[in-house]
Amino acid sequence: MSVKPFQIRGRFFTAVALRPEGDADQAFYDALDVQLRHTPNFFANAPFVIDLEQTDSLTEARDLVRLIEEMRHRKLSVFGVQNGTATQTATAVKAGLISLPSGRDVPVDRVERSVRQAPEMPDEAPEAPQPASLLITEPVRSGQKIFADRGDLVVVSSVGAGAELIAVGNIHVYGHLRGRALAGVNGDTTARIFCQGLDAELLAIAGLYRTSEDLGPAIRKQRVQAFLMDDKLCVEPLK
Amino acid sequence: MAKIIVVTSGKGGVGKTTSSAAISAGLAMRGFKTVVIDFDVGLRNLDMIMGCERRVVFDFINVIQGDAKLKQALIKDRRLENLFILPTSQTRDKDALTRDGVEKILNELREEFDYIICDSPAGIERGAHLAMYYADEAIVVTNPEVSSVRDSDRVLGLLNSKTYLAEKGGDNTVRSHLLLTRYDTQRVARGEMMTVEDVLEILAIPLLGIIPESSTVLRASNVGMPVVLDEKSGAGKAYEDAVSRLMGDQIEMRLDSGERPGFFQRLLGRTA
Repeated sequence: MSVKPFQIRGRFFTAVALRPEGDADQAFYDALDVQLRHTPNFFANAPFVIDLEQTDSLTEARDLVRLIEEMRHRKLSVFGVQNGTATQTATAVKAGLISLPSGRDVPVDRVERSVRQAPEMPDEAPEAPQPASLLITEPVRSGQKIFADRGDLVVVSSVGAGAELIAVGNIHVYGHLRGRALAGVNGDTTARIFCQGLDAELLAIAGLYRTSEDLGPAIRKQRVQAFLMDDKLCVEPLK
Repeated sequence: MAKIIVVTSGKGGVGKTTSSAAISAGLAMRGFKTVVIDFDVGLRNLDMIMGCERRVVFDFINVIQGDAKLKQALIKDRRLENLFILPTSQTRDKDALTRDGVEKILNELREEFDYIICDSPAGIERGAHLAMYYADEAIVVTNPEVSSVRDSDRVLGLLNSKTYLAEKGGDNTVRSHLLLTRYDTQRVARGEMMTVEDVLEILAIPLLGIIPESSTVLRASNVGMPVVLDEKSGAGKAYEDAVSRLMGDQIEMRLDSGERPGFFQRLLGRTA
């Protein structure tokens, strides 16, 4: 069995299109600077495309090359050009850009080319945030294991002895917690555990744990929160 | 349409077989055609509790393996005309059970019966898993002590995840009921056993009944008679109430055993 040295996968990114609507003169660059001052971080690492559809100028090769240089000077990662004339496109390709079709149907052969020719493209473009917390409404029974691998774990019921709750983020239990609860398992020391009735076998945050034996009788069956302070797992009643 | 009810617990010795016998007899007394199946392959007990061990010719495993017809293996109860027993094999083990075989037999029984009671073995392995797999409802038998409650909690988790209804993932789930057995009010009062409230707080399922600890249960087992048939037994009455609740009747929970102490017992004070 031979192992392939690489894999080729199609990947979709959201690119930002810059669409000049006239000459790329000084007024244009001033307006661009104003925009960038308003949103200094918004365009950082964002892949940029120059869309030439709305402009009749920039026909001169040096104007287009200057635009590309000015954009790169402003740390805008321009990598492609769209809707240009044959001359414009040829100039852009010579300047290291690639020509992109405007539609959504990207030809398959282009996938390889864009990967090879645009190494400055960030690996992961910002994606739409997905809900990261996990909600459980049924009782968690002995022997069950619930893992919130992306964020918080919320249980709107009780957690039986011998059950295990594991979360990358915080753990909230709106019932009796009799099993084990491990929050911040990826090392998040700011993660916390909250419960309405503490009877847990074990509480752990970012690897630091306490078992029921050393949780003490004072906080048993109380509404509590557990958190890390100075590398110690503190359990305090909720007021 | 027949209803399949599994009687299960996780822990052994809590009264699954006694409860299976009593509840199936109680259903048959009400006129429902009922069959009770022993899933405890290798530890054949149900037929003894039902008093038909000397009439067993073919068993559940013979039917699964095609050595006998279902009709040949079913034993008709001598006391209740609507009650049938499907005994299990004493010489085989749980590996003789197959999911397809169990499904085939249950489908065949569904055609003919109103209620199919599956008497689960202890544990959570193959026998117990297949006993609960096709269930519509579950009766979780629990004693008022911590290890039994813990095991019941585990079984409830399996009923919610490892059954046909759970795997199918529709709106239907296995409806679980709690049957609290061997409940001794005096020991509970002394704090030696958990209270009903404690158990319900942990398990959080509807309570089907509370069966008092009673000497009549053992006596009934010894003579091979479901305890509901003993009219004087408080445990028998408690099982009758449980069957009524299973039918959806609203009946008040009675905590006392209902047994009047006899003359000598009153004279000597309560033992046991």
